[in-house]
Amino acid sequence: MLIGKTSSELRDFNSAQYLPTPSSRLLTMRSLTEEETRTLFTKLAHYTGKSLNALVTPDEDGRLSVFRLQGSRVYYVDKELANLSTSIPRDQLLSMGTQVGKFTKTGKFRLNLTCLDLIAAHARYKIYIKSNGVMPFLYGSNVLRAHLSKYSEDMPEHAGCVVVDENDVPLGFGVTSRSSQEAKKLEGTGVVVFRQADTGEYLREEDTLFTT
Amino acid sequence: MAPNKGSSKGPSVGGAKGAKSSLSSASRVSKSSKKDGPKRPPPKEQKSKPRTVQENLKKKKKRVYTEKELDLPELNQITPVGVVKPKGKKKGKTFVDDQEGMMTILAMVNAEKEGQIESKMMKARQLEEIREAKKAEAEARMKERKNKLENVKDSLRKEKKGKGGDKPEATIKDKVFKPKAKKSVAFA
Repeated sequence: MLIGKTSSELRDFNSAQYLPTPSSRLLTMRSLTEEETRTLFTKLAHYTGKSLNALVTPDEDGRLSVFRLQGSRVYYVDKELANLSTSIPRDQLLSMGTQVGKFTKTGKFRLNLTCLDLIAAHARYKIYIKSNGVMPFLYGSNVLRAHLSKYSEDMPEHAGCVVVDENDVPLGFGVTSRSSQEAKKLEGTGVVVFRQADTGEYLREEDTLFTT
Repeated sequence: MAPNKGSSKGPSVGGAKGAKSSLSSASRVSKSSKKDGPKRPPPKEQKSKPRTVQENLKKKKKRVYTEKELDLPELNQITPVGVVKPKGKKKGKTFVDDQEGMMTILAMVNAEKEGQIESKMMKARQLEEIREAKKAEAEARMKERKNKLENVKDSLRKEKKGKGGDKPEATIKDKVFKPKAKKSVAFA
């Protein structure tokens, strides 16, 4: 294939490998479209209350953070940092800011464990678990009735909630299996919260947690 | 035309002109003789088909109808009625980068979510009420049944106490009758 080419032509040919390939061209770092923003906020609002507004308004220092899409992953980044990141080639930019989650190929949004800090600060429902329930939860099991310490009273079923330990340290998030009234009547081994993500994943899913 | 003439007459006849012409002609000849060049197929005569041929007649008959002329009902088209894209609108994605846009979307999403949760809670409350009512009813029934049972028991006990003196006689009577029954059996 290379026969009969001059050295300059060869050089050109070699430099072609540094051009963005069609697949990497898809990885454009950009702000979200209207529809994407709606799906993202719907998912976030599942776990958070009205205070979610704080995420899109500038903080006390006047610094604003924005949501940026890189590939299928969504990051929550300081706006200045996002602007600076344009100097890095898109296909070489792996991650920046806080990863919120990713868009599936069907257009749904999946929250990642890394967004726990964002959610926990604005959580709508919190479930406190006893110290004897912390380790089972961190190993990936659901929250049982016996491990419950306290929980908000007016919780409906299938609502997103943040699981915290007794010292108010967020451990993960999940979805309630029953409303709080029904949970009261449940026996000790009954599942109260279906686990979605827990901080134990930082160890268990270490290899795949940040892969794009 | 001239060089050809020259060549036919021979190179000696003409002056400078003739020489030139002869050279050019010679070169042409030599080119054609030495190099065959790319072979071309012999030119074919293009016969124009008479208009009376069926194909020509058919083509003429074809007529393109516009959509208006066809007068089709709106649903019977390739693009459904609702999907017609507005012309002159910009293609591509519309990004939400301004804060106001984000806030409006967020407010809409929040309102929707609140509504959902509210309806969920309402439904849960109603179900809870129904459950409570059913439970109360079931308890009331159970109590009634128990009362009935107790009443029957009490009545039976009272009967027993009341008939306490007559019982021994009855037993004696039974004893008297029993042999008769046996006899009858033996007889049968």
